[in-house]
Amino acid sequence: MRSIIRALRREGVLGINRRNIGYTLRWNARRFYPIVDDKLTTKERCQGAGIPVPALLAVARHHFEIPRLLREIATLDAFVLKPSHGAMGNGILVVRARDGARVERAGGRWIGESDLRYHAASIISGLYALGGQIDDAFVEERILVHPALEDVATDGLPDLRVIVYRGVPVMSMTRLPTRRSGGRANLHQGAVGAGVDLGDGRFTHAVQENQPVTRHPDTDHPLIGHTMPHFERALEIAVAATDLTGLGYVGADVVVDAARGPLVLELNARPGLAIQLANMAGLLPRLHAVDERLRPDLALAERIALGREIAKTAHGAIG
Amino acid sequence: MQRNVVVVGALFVALGLGVFAWKTRSLGMPIIPSGEGPWRVELEITLRGEGQRGSVRAPLPSSGPGQSVFDERTASEGLLFTIRTEGGQRIGVWSGRLSGVVRVVHGFRVQTNAVRVPLPLQAPQEPPREILASYTAATTQLPVHAAEIQAEIARQPLADPRDPVARVRTLFTLVAEEIGGVASGSDDAVLTLAAREGSPLGRTLLFTTLLRAAGIPARVVQGLSLRGSTAVQPTQWTEAWIDERWVPLSPVDGFFAERPEGLVALHTGEATAITATGSEAIGWRYHALRESLRQEELAAMMVPPNPLLARLSLYRLPVPTQRALRAVLLLPLGALLVAFFRNGVGVQTFGTFMPVLVAFALREASLGYGLLMVALIVLLAILLRLLLESLHLLLVPRLAVLLCVVVLAIASLALMGSFGGSELYQAVLFPMVILTMFVERFTLVMAEEGLRQALGRAAWTTLVATAVYPIFHSTLAEHLMFGFPELTFVVIGVLVWMGGYTGYRLLDLLRFRAFARPPENPA
Repeated sequence: MRSIIRALRREGVLGINRRNIGYTLRWNARRFYPIVDDKLTTKERCQGAGIPVPALLAVARHHFEIPRLLREIATLDAFVLKPSHGAMGNGILVVRARDGARVERAGGRWIGESDLRYHAASIISGLYALGGQIDDAFVEERILVHPALEDVATDGLPDLRVIVYRGVPVMSMTRLPTRRSGGRANLHQGAVGAGVDLGDGRFTHAVQENQPVTRHPDTDHPLIGHTMPHFERALEIAVAATDLTGLGYVGADVVVDAARGPLVLELNARPGLAIQLANMAGLLPRLHAVDERLRPDLALAERIALGREIAKTAHGAIG
Repeated sequence: MQRNVVVVGALFVALGLGVFAWKTRSLGMPIIPSGEGPWRVELEITLRGEGQRGSVRAPLPSSGPGQSVFDERTASEGLLFTIRTEGGQRIGVWSGRLSGVVRVVHGFRVQTNAVRVPLPLQAPQEPPREILASYTAATTQLPVHAAEIQAEIARQPLADPRDPVARVRTLFTLVAEEIGGVASGSDDAVLTLAAREGSPLGRTLLFTTLLRAAGIPARVVQGLSLRGSTAVQPTQWTEAWIDERWVPLSPVDGFFAERPEGLVALHTGEATAITATGSEAIGWRYHALRESLRQEELAAMMVPPNPLLARLSLYRLPVPTQRALRAVLLLPLGALLVAFFRNGVGVQTFGTFMPVLVAFALREASLGYGLLMVALIVLLAILLRLLLESLHLLLVPRLAVLLCVVVLAIASLALMGSFGGSELYQAVLFPMVILTMFVERFTLVMAEEGLRQALGRAAWTTLVATAVYPIFHSTLAEHLMFGFPELTFVVIGVLVWMGGYTGYRLLDLLRFRAFARPPENPA
């Protein structure tokens, strides 16, 4: 156990207590949380600032609005029904095809309108919300996996997670769904996490359930060296989105649509720490470097350049 | 850790430890309870009147063989309190105007010890004439002349009247072995004899009646039986006059010419002697609490030499309040343990302090039954989800259905317990509110994050609760936190330190252990 602690210190691995005290409590004021916790607000803000997001198709804030929501999506072949305050991908229902009143879920199961109504009602009742409060249900366009990522993601949508500290991107990873994760991009449910080089968007290292892997477990496609499509643009909108929040330590989730390119999906005020495993690098050296080298009034492009510089020089002891 | 966190934490710890050190070193308050001390007993009488004058009389215990009574205190709302002595019996009288509900509380401390009374080997002294006259006479409850009693006496192979010990022994064996004891049996001597079974009171009255009928002076003693740490129950036993002294006997509780520890004699006579005049209704009950300190240690805790401390001593509070406070003051220790499990180890539990609440609930029931209840309701929650899933019910009504089923389950468990003769009905004591909260969190997590997560968290919650449980049962912890409430400041200080702990959690180490492996060769 001693040796593990020593190794973690050497690599500068950030633990939960330190993240809470030194970063989320310190840099993320409670009053800004609603902006990121409420996905509809995040979406609104981003649209206002010209940051691309998945298109909003319908909203139901009360039970009586559910029939209207169902009417509005009655002709859509593909869409995603989500809770506005959901956490960890809970309560997300993805529809990929339609046959009259029946629709096909991403997993291949056909469901009827009553199931959609029940799901929307559960969302509004707060079943999937953090803390179980009353929630809003909304429908947005379904993102199509970019062809460049089809070989490394099964049954679901991969995303890019960027940790942005005081406006500087410090680390990023992509979460690749697997059959074991049931198509979800959730690391603790078995998705693969691959560290993404901030410089060129290449996958540097990958883990599944905390164990290193080099190939995608379902497709056997090599992961290391694979490149994130449109990485430059994705990084830019991720940092731009966090600039709107007033928060200093944020995880921005970006998805890359086959047609529309990178879109900001959501922001997270308490981003997880598994990104360090995916990169095999600790966050602390980079966070300290930002504290030392960040000058006020840096433009967006300069902050991204600083983040890339820090990621290159303040790397842990890999290699 | 930040410096200000260290300093603030240290201030709290120093404050708590400082007061603690002063109280123990300079004032000589005991740190470690020496074991089982005296009992603190309180009689609480509630009267209801409509403004008329009235009074209430209650017999008070005196010191004597087997018990020493001290530190008597009385609290009555505006009533005048006097103590009278009538025929050697101390009687407390509270009198005044009774309007509305009036509460009278009389408390005392009592140290009980076992006493053995030597029986004469030779022919004993004849009892004095006046004792013989008043304690062999028939009364309503001791119907010495009843035909059934006389017939029973005639049937028994009684020894010569000059050997009263042998006569007593025969009757004692008769009642102990041939008259069965049932809690719901008769309270009447003759009926008990006829049915060959009776209540504890019925058997005691029968035994006393038989003694009187056999010419041995005998009387009933009303008292209290104190057991465990808070159990108090009214009880009776018999005393017979043999060779110049009263000898305690109880075929019901199985003592002969001795008095076991834990008995307090209140008065003699067949009926309870708490009476009231001018009152519409009267109710009373006894509370008791066993001190974990010896008498002289208790004195140091209760009346410290410092006048301010003497005022602040929690030992001066009424017994029910003390009992509640003793439990409540242990909560910070439980919270401390939970903070350690969550921030030091990194486990997830339902709610922040659910484990403390569960452990607190287990305090009333017992660990085994409590865990059984938790397992049972978790099982019910899972089953119910399978049954109700296809109905697509909304959350709150679904949880309410679950609550109904849990209530039914508890009722049936209690019933099963009463049939099976085991103590399963104890599970009923497991507070409903906490069970409901537990099952609600379980259902929510099950719906949001899946069964595995929910079971994991239920297991951790129960585990942490089990770890907290011994604290709530520790006499030492109770004595320390109740006798030295300033230790709560120490807990606050340690919590401040814990809150500023930025090191790794145990589960962080497990999760990031891959970093400790030698790096693979870059391809």
